[in-house]
Amino acid sequence: MRPKACSQACANASQVLPDTMDFVVTTLLNALTLISILMLVGLGLAISFGLMNVTNLAHGEFVTVGAFAVYFVQSVGGSFWLGLAAAPIAGAVVGCILEFAIIRHLYSRPVSTVLATWGVSLILQQGLELTFGLGAKPVTPPIEGTFDLFFTVYPAYRLILIAIAMLTLLGVVLLISRTSFGLDIRTVIQNREMAEGVGINTRRTYAIAFTFGAAIAGLAGGLVAPLAIVLPQMGVNYLANAFFVVIVGGVGSIGGLVAGSVFVGGLTSVLNYQISPSLAQAIVLLAAIVAVRLRPNGLFNGASR
Amino acid sequence: MSDVLLQAENVGIRFGGLQALEGLNLTVRDRELCCIIGPNGAGKSTFLNLLTGTLRPTSGSVRFLGHDIAGLPLHRIARLGIARKFQIPSVFPSLSVEDNLKVARWGTSSPVRPVGELLDLVALGSRAATLAGELAHGQKQWLEIGMALAIEPRLLLLDEPTAGMTPQETLATAQMLLRLKGEFSIVAVEHDIRFVRALNCETLVLHQGRRLRSGPFHDIEADEMVRDVYLGRR
Amino acid sequence: MIARDRNWLLIFAVCAALAVVYPFIADGYQLTVIRDALIFGLFAASLDFFWGRTGILCFGHAAFFGIGGYIMALVTLNDAIPLGSLLGILGAIAGAAFVAAIIGYFLFFGGIRGSYFTIVTLAMGVICQQAAVSWSSVTGGDSGLIGIPPIAFDLGEIHVDLSQDLPSYIFVASIVAVVVLVLWSLSRGRWGTVLTAIQDNEVRAAALGHNAPLRLLVTFVLSAAIAGLAGALYVCMAGLVAPDLSGLLLSTEVIVWVAVGGRGTLLGPVLGAIAIQRAQQTISSFNPSLWPLLLGCVFVVIVFVLPDGILSIYARLKSLFKGRRQAQ
Repeated sequence: MRPKACSQACANASQVLPDTMDFVVTTLLNALTLISILMLVGLGLAISFGLMNVTNLAHGEFVTVGAFAVYFVQSVGGSFWLGLAAAPIAGAVVGCILEFAIIRHLYSRPVSTVLATWGVSLILQQGLELTFGLGAKPVTPPIEGTFDLFFTVYPAYRLILIAIAMLTLLGVVLLISRTSFGLDIRTVIQNREMAEGVGINTRRTYAIAFTFGAAIAGLAGGLVAPLAIVLPQMGVNYLANAFFVVIVGGVGSIGGLVAGSVFVGGLTSVLNYQISPSLAQAIVLLAAIVAVRLRPNGLFNGASR
Repeated sequence: MSDVLLQAENVGIRFGGLQALEGLNLTVRDRELCCIIGPNGAGKSTFLNLLTGTLRPTSGSVRFLGHDIAGLPLHRIARLGIARKFQIPSVFPSLSVEDNLKVARWGTSSPVRPVGELLDLVALGSRAATLAGELAHGQKQWLEIGMALAIEPRLLLLDEPTAGMTPQETLATAQMLLRLKGEFSIVAVEHDIRFVRALNCETLVLHQGRRLRSGPFHDIEADEMVRDVYLGRR
Repeated sequence: MIARDRNWLLIFAVCAALAVVYPFIADGYQLTVIRDALIFGLFAASLDFFWGRTGILCFGHAAFFGIGGYIMALVTLNDAIPLGSLLGILGAIAGAAFVAAIIGYFLFFGGIRGSYFTIVTLAMGVICQQAAVSWSSVTGGDSGLIGIPPIAFDLGEIHVDLSQDLPSYIFVASIVAVVVLVLWSLSRGRWGTVLTAIQDNEVRAAALGHNAPLRLLVTFVLSAAIAGLAGALYVCMAGLVAPDLSGLLLSTEVIVWVAVGGRGTLLGPVLGAIAIQRAQQTISSFNPSLWPLLLGCVFVVIVFVLPDGILSIYARLKSLFKGRRQAQ
């Protein structure tokens, strides 16, 4: 038996501790959710913007299309999981058409690529609005309820989202480092002419890599659909943030992608607790600009100027 | 020693594990002409980048008029009086020849030579209104020399000024430089031996990042070791 | 070169003459329509001065238009501030220039060009619109601010009162004419030539002693300042300010005006703005969501069919005929 005074003090301490722990863990998990999504969206952008030097302003629409795929499947009676399977396919189809019809003709004209992909982005947004009508689309998560994490209770679906995102990223890392297609991609990135010289079809490799990035972004859209407001215009926020990820993290490595996502996602989540979302966004933008000024090659590529 | 313009002392640079240059010395006096030669990969361009402050040496020092210029922004270096002709002819293709020279003159606070004189100096008087992008390769090289002259440099660094030129153009370029000799210092990096012979000046021979020989060109040309590694038996 | 300058001045003179004659044939409403279109033309010219001369695309130019508009609205709606209209315009110009200076400093001196610049300015536009919506205690939120008075001030002997249609039209048309003329002489003179050189080969320009980042920054700030001026003029004429004025759609539209009118011509974007707004009003009257759809198609068509704008059709036809004649 302990003295009474101590047990009182202990009780107080243990009450303060769980509250802060609760806050810390919740914030961390919120940040992790956002970071996961940013990594998935940023991956495709790191491929197209970072490696192929294509500025695709329609990248946000891959996310939108993925979210709408889940909505559509659910609205005709399908399950969330079926919708989530359809999301990357929808992203891939749109990405493939975009690459085939527009981007491959403009590899040498960067400003034209910006304008054309923005045009496609507008067409897709309005196309979705004309097809599905105005207003936000409801998407229900596959699992309601929370999961007890000892320090805090946390929505179960968000934990699933984080897990799927991490697994996907792991899969991509394995794909790029272990398969022959991954080797092709790495070769093309390092030296396009040399790759052509050794018989790699660079055009096809670009197309597949681009489509692949679109599919991952579509998957991100599907995953985020139950948490986000599903609108035809939802893509632009993901577009801007994903570009920050790539710019801050630097291009050419998964490490850069992770660093950029942690920077943008972490900062946004922490700031969102304190101030209004738009001010938080502005601060993230400023921080990203300053980071680029200080480390032009990205946070992860250690070489500073 | 007050007329020393550029002094490199015991300069070396290391890229990662590779010692690209080691123990190089070069003194350029005011209004002096000198050449740096060496086979491909000898480190000539790297050395030039060290001299212009584009790269910072990992050992030794480079001083221009007694100042360390490594890492200064490019336009500040230009304003100190260092002009550079790049290896790949880099003119402004969408501006006319005349405008190219004008832009160069505007770069300095006190241009002296009028555009007309510059045009004549580099033998482009008849092409003033032509877009620089439409010039022949040799003419682009000359235009670039003209642009470097326009900023009234104290030191002109030329990176392979005759690359891609016909033998006639090479000689014409050498004569152009000899005419300018005495107005300011010139350092030319070259591997065309006819050009260096025509200039016949102090010469530094690089080989594998080190000094092989240095001295007047006729001594260099007679040197057995230089003949072996560079001039070859051709 | 000389012939091109003469042609430009000729077209400018024709447009100016049309602008002078127009009040005699148009009624008050038509006059205000053209007046508002001219303000957007000024906005387009401001973007063209930067994009056309540097080749760097700013994808959030409406942010500066919106900043100018909101500052103008806040200053003129505050009764405590004397000479509201005049100070409002100055404040609008200064505010837009200030934001451009901060963003531009970090980007240009950080070596950011091309696509990276486009992306960051895109994000800037998104954030400005969000800020206008969510900072509702100052900006009035989604519905914006209404009741902004027309420009009116007394400055010694000069009495300016733009509450009537004709004076406001004359005021706007004169400002547009003067600004376009000034920008044109800047861009064909020393300033513009050096900018073209920087666009061609920035390293070379720097090696000749030009401080390229500084020059790009000043150009960007000037461009933003004029966009701010356009925003200030617009809210006074319209009487209201809303988040749309700093939004992505307007940023997009101004790019189309410049691209269709002809990048780098300054006059083309003004004409493009007038013509396209005309089309927009007609099309939006059928179905409002048809316009962005069409805008998207215009982007794609411009890129593939008319990369140099509508005015280039004339040049193309000319070279086509020339080619025929030579072939014969």
